[in-house]
Amino acid sequence: MFLAAFTSTGPREVSPDATLLPRLLQKDVSAFEQLYDRHSRLVYGLVLRILQQASMSEEVVQDVFLQLWRNADQYDASRGPFVPWLCTVARNRALDRLRLKSERQRRREDQPDELPSLVVAPEYEKVLDDKRRAERVRALMASLSPQQKKAIELAYFEGLSHSEIAATMKEPLGTVKSWIRNGLLRLKEGLQATS
Amino acid sequence: MKNCDQFRERTEAYALGALDPEERVALEVHLASGCADCTKAVEEARWLVSQLAYTAPEAAPSDMLKGRLMQTVRAEAQSQVKPHAMPSRSAIPLWLLAGVAALLAFSIYSAWNTRRLEGEIREANNRAAALVGERQKIEQELLLAKRESMILMDPSSIKIALKGSDAQGPQLEAKWHSQWGVVVMGENIPMPSPHHVLQLWFIPKAPGKMPMPSMMVRPDANGKFVLLISNPPESMDATKALAISEEPEGGSPWPTNPPRYSGGVS
Repeated sequence: MFLAAFTSTGPREVSPDATLLPRLLQKDVSAFEQLYDRHSRLVYGLVLRILQQASMSEEVVQDVFLQLWRNADQYDASRGPFVPWLCTVARNRALDRLRLKSERQRRREDQPDELPSLVVAPEYEKVLDDKRRAERVRALMASLSPQQKKAIELAYFEGLSHSEIAATMKEPLGTVKSWIRNGLLRLKEGLQATS
Repeated sequence: MKNCDQFRERTEAYALGALDPEERVALEVHLASGCADCTKAVEEARWLVSQLAYTAPEAAPSDMLKGRLMQTVRAEAQSQVKPHAMPSRSAIPLWLLAGVAALLAFSIYSAWNTRRLEGEIREANNRAAALVGERQKIEQELLLAKRESMILMDPSSIKIALKGSDAQGPQLEAKWHSQWGVVVMGENIPMPSPHHVLQLWFIPKAPGKMPMPSMMVRPDANGKFVLLISNPPESMDATKALAISEEPEGGSPWPTNPPRYSGGVS
């Protein structure tokens, strides 16, 4: 069961989400409201950054939280920690909407509309509150070169592939691949050092 | 694991959704082959990528959104509350009811229910076995489809045109990848005679060596077919040409009819 991931013993369960999620299975409205209050700013901020339009972003956020409410009991336990999963769902939904909006679906036409993929926190993951985690990730991203940062942002927030990023930035494909890989590895090393 | 390092380098880009289709398909085929290390690397890469959400400036959605959501959620929660069953009252003493119930349960349950449960278990086992079989079949088909697309898309695959004996008739096309195999495709292909199939042959370069028999196929109702040969009987270097002839159902160890289509492997 998906929610077991949040209820088992271990250092990651200090998050209050761990106590709210089992209650969500019991259709506890107040647990849902607390989860929404805790995470809606992060989710909405992410979706708004992708879609750049408030009303459409609110529709996506509504879909994401309704999916959480209606389908919480259908997910596998091993799908991992809650917030990364929620952000993955929100990003996928927002990018789908973005592609629909700009008729740029060709690149993913052959990809099935699947449930969010497995997200497993690595050993080095440390429990940080959202504010400290945001500060850390932003600082690490700011330490990348402007090209690395832009290439990663084009992939993450606009859903572009290596080739599309290379065309957008007018840079060789191999260079773009290196920027993205080295940038993400640097982010990973930085997060490891945090723990 | 073959080429594991090459795939490991792509796990972050895969989690980011930045891989181009060929690389993405190749990595997915590798993951589907059961590489535990790369699977773990992808799962962790997804976590890493999810952290990028924190780089978006936080923003507060409108109160109206929360209002709409809570209204929907409350209504759905309410509709799931089932009325409690009213406790039944009876004039018959409880001990008597319990005795009758126990007697009935003993006489009926032991004979009938055991047989029923056995039947249900058997049926459930059959259903589970059927589902497992179906899933394995789908996974196998998916793997084959992915391999086909890899062969078709990879720029190192060699294209082979198989021309028919009739210049105006349809032509077949094959693509051969040195590692992943051969895909042969045809459209508007006339049906072979009744009780016959089309059989693929690998014609060796070595003088005097007999054609190597390969797979058989019948085109669909639209005259279309796609044939994947994962393990060709000859290597590309040792093969002079590919040919297709009409052979009796079940295939033949050597050609019994002249080739209907053939093309040289350059």
